Amino acid sequence: MTGPILQPPTRKSVLRRAVAKLIPGLLMALLLLPLLARGQQSPNFDEVEASATAAREQGDVSRAVELYRQAVELRPNWPDGWWYLGVLQYGSNAYAPAADALSHFINLTPNAGPALALRGLCEFEQAQYPQSLQDLQRAIALGAANEPRNAGIIFYHEALLLTRLGRYEEALAQYTTLVKHGSLSDDVYAGIGLAGLRMPLLPKDIDSSQQQMVLKVGQAAASVMNGDLTAGREAFQNLFTLFPATPNIHYLYGYLLFTVDPTEAIAQFRRELNVSPASAVAHSMLAWALGTQGDFTAALPYAKQSVAEDPSLAVTQLVLGKDLVETGDVNAGLPHLEAVLKIDPQNLEAHIALAKAYSELGRKDDARRERLLCLTLSGKQAAPDANF
Amino acid sequence: MRISEVLLILILCCSSLFAQSGQTASDCASCHRKQADTQPETQMGRAMQLPGDNQTLNAHPKLTFHRGSFTYTVETLRGRTEYSVSDGTRTISIPVQWAMGAEAQTWLLEHDGQMYESMVSYYPTIQGLDFTVGDDRITPKTLEEAIGRPLPTEGVTTCFGCHATNAVVNHTLHLKSLSPGVTCEHCHVGAGDHSDAEMAGDSSNLPPLLQKLSSEDISNFCGQCHRTWELVVRAGWRGPANVRFQPYRLANSRCFDGKDPRISCIACHDPHQKVVRDVAWYDRKCLACHSRAASAAPPHAKICPVAKANCASCHMPRVPFPGGHFIFTDHDIRVVRPNQPYPF
Repeated sequence: MTGPILQPPTRKSVLRRAVAKLIPGLLMALLLLPLLARGQQSPNFDEVEASATAAREQGDVSRAVELYRQAVELRPNWPDGWWYLGVLQYGSNAYAPAADALSHFINLTPNAGPALALRGLCEFEQAQYPQSLQDLQRAIALGAANEPRNAGIIFYHEALLLTRLGRYEEALAQYTTLVKHGSLSDDVYAGIGLAGLRMPLLPKDIDSSQQQMVLKVGQAAASVMNGDLTAGREAFQNLFTLFPATPNIHYLYGYLLFTVDPTEAIAQFRRELNVSPASAVAHSMLAWALGTQGDFTAALPYAKQSVAEDPSLAVTQLVLGKDLVETGDVNAGLPHLEAVLKIDPQNLEAHIALAKAYSELGRKDDARRERLLCLTLSGKQAAPDANF
Repeated sequence: MRISEVLLILILCCSSLFAQSGQTASDCASCHRKQADTQPETQMGRAMQLPGDNQTLNAHPKLTFHRGSFTYTVETLRGRTEYSVSDGTRTISIPVQWAMGAEAQTWLLEHDGQMYESMVSYYPTIQGLDFTVGDDRITPKTLEEAIGRPLPTEGVTTCFGCHATNAVVNHTLHLKSLSPGVTCEHCHVGAGDHSDAEMAGDSSNLPPLLQKLSSEDISNFCGQCHRTWELVVRAGWRGPANVRFQPYRLANSRCFDGKDPRISCIACHDPHQKVVRDVAWYDRKCLACHSRAASAAPPHAKICPVAKANCASCHMPRVPFPGGHFIFTDHDIRVVRPNQPYPF
C-alpha cells in the first residue's frame, strides 16, 4: 500500500519542529540541532524498521510481525507499521490482532478505505457481523471497492453480512451487481439462495439437507438477475415443483420480476401468500405492487395485514403509510411513515411519502423540509447534467 | 435493487394512468364548445401528428442531417413521410407513422418489429434536424443502430400514453383506437360514461372535477406526463435538463403549498388554451399572494422590493435546455442570485 496517507513523518519535519521551538535562541539551537534530532528519535527504531521491511520482503512473516510489533511499540504513531502489522496478521489468519493493528492505523488515518475494508474482513472472520458490515460499507463509501480486484470480495462479503443480519433485499441488490459483473460461482449462488430464502445464515452454516435447495434457488435467481428471464422462469418452475411448500420462493421470483413484469410479480406474491399466509413481506410487496399500478384501494388490506404480521419492518410501515395517504387518510398514514424513519432514518421512500403527506395537509414547511431531505438523499446517486 | 429504483422503473412503465375511453372530442364539443374549440390547437392537443396532417413536415418536405458516415433524410411527399438513414452503400427507409411533438418533432419508427425513437428530430429554432435529445451520446456501429434508440415495450407505452388518447388501455397499447394528441378523455376520467348518460338524459353522471384537486394532486396529475416531483427525485435527474419537468421544479419552489390553489398548475395554465407567452400576463398570478391586496396571503408571502411587474422574468428564469434547441421557463420560483448554480 502506498500513498501520502501512509508516509511516516520525515526527519526533516522533526527537525523543523525542533528549530521552531528553539527560536529565538537561534545560535544555541544550531549548536544543539544534531543532539536534538537524535534525542527525538528512539535509538533503535531505524534498525527495527529496516529489519521488519527486510523480513517482510523475504516472506518471513512471523519475524516481520514481531519486528513491526517492536517498531510500533517504539513509535506508536507510525502508520506504516500498524498497516503492515495488520496486513501480515490478517494473512496469517490472526484476525483479532490484525483488527487491533488496523484500528491503530485507522485512528492515525481515519479515512483509509482499504484499512477499513480489511478490518471489516477481520471482524467478519470473528463473527462480529454488525461491526464488519459497518466497516465494509464505510470502506465502500471511501472508494475501497473502486478497484475491481477488491470490489468482488468486498461486495460479496457485504452481501453475506446483509443476509446474515436479515437485510435480504439489500443483499439481493448487491448480488445482482455481482452477477451482472460476471461473478458467478457456487459461493455466490449459495449466498443468493440464502438471501432469497430469507435465511439469516452464512453459506458455511447451511444444513447439509438444505444445501442443494439453497444452491438451486441461487442459480434460478441469478438467471433472472442476469436478464435471462426464460431460463429463470424454467428454473423457478422447477423449484416450485421440487419445493412446493418452501416459503419465500414465490416471493423471491416475484421480487426479481417486479421491474420487468409487475403483473406476473403480483401473481407470484399472491401465490407466496398461499404458501406462507403470515408473510409480512409478501403482503407488503403485494400492496406495494398494486399501489404502483395505481390501485391503492386494493392494496390497503394487504398493507394493513403486513403491519399486523410484522410492525417492526420498515417496509410494512412504509407501505401502509403510503397507502393510507394515497387513499385520502393522510392523518392516519403519517404515524406509519414517521415510524419508518425511526427504523431507517435515511429511507428515501418514507421521506418522499412524508413530503406528499405534509403537502396534502398544507404543512408547507414540513413538506419543504422533507423535499430538501429527499433531494439530498437522492442526490447521492444523481446524474448531474444528464439529458435523461 | 433498492425499492426506490424498482418503483421508478415501474412508474415509468405505468406512467399513463389516465383512464381513456373510446369517447371522441366531438362528442364533448356539443356541450363544452368553448373548450373544444381551442383545446385541439394547444401543444397538448397537437402532441402527436399523423401522416398527411403534419404541417411541420409538409412545410419542410426534405430535411437532411449528417452524422459521421450516416446520412439522415426525412422526406415528405403527398402526405407520406419517409425517414431514411444511409451509410453510403445501404439505406434503410421507414415510413413515419407517428410524429411526437407539436413544434419540435421526434418520430416513433417501426422496423422489423422493433420500435425506435428516431435518432434525429426536427427543431423549429433551426428549422432543421439535429440529434434527438440525449442521442448525441449514442455511437451507432451499424445501420440498424443508426435508426435510433430501440424502445422497450413499456417505453413505447409511455410515449403513446402521453402523446395520444385511447392508445393505452389497462397498461396495454391499442394503436387501432388511438387518437393523436391529448383530447378530452385523456384527462377527464369518465367523460365517455358522462356523455352517454347525458345523451340518455341523465345529468347525474359527472366525471371528477379536476379543478377541485389540491395543488399537490394537480401536480401529480399533470406530472403523469410532465413528470412528477417524486419521479424526478427517485431517478436522481439533476441539472438543467430537468427544467422541462415543471411539476418537479414547481414543487421545489419555496412558495409551493400543496393546499393553496393559487400555486397549482391550473392556476396559471388553462390546458384548454394555448400557453400564454406574455410574461406580464402572469403577474396577477404572483400578486394573488405577493401583494398587500391579496386577501388570503400567507404572512410570509413577501412583497417584491424591486418591481411590481414582469415577476416571472426575474423569478422564473429562462433556462436553455442542454443539448437541445429549446429554452424553458424554470418553474422553481425563487429569488435568483447572480452566479448561483442551477438548483437541483
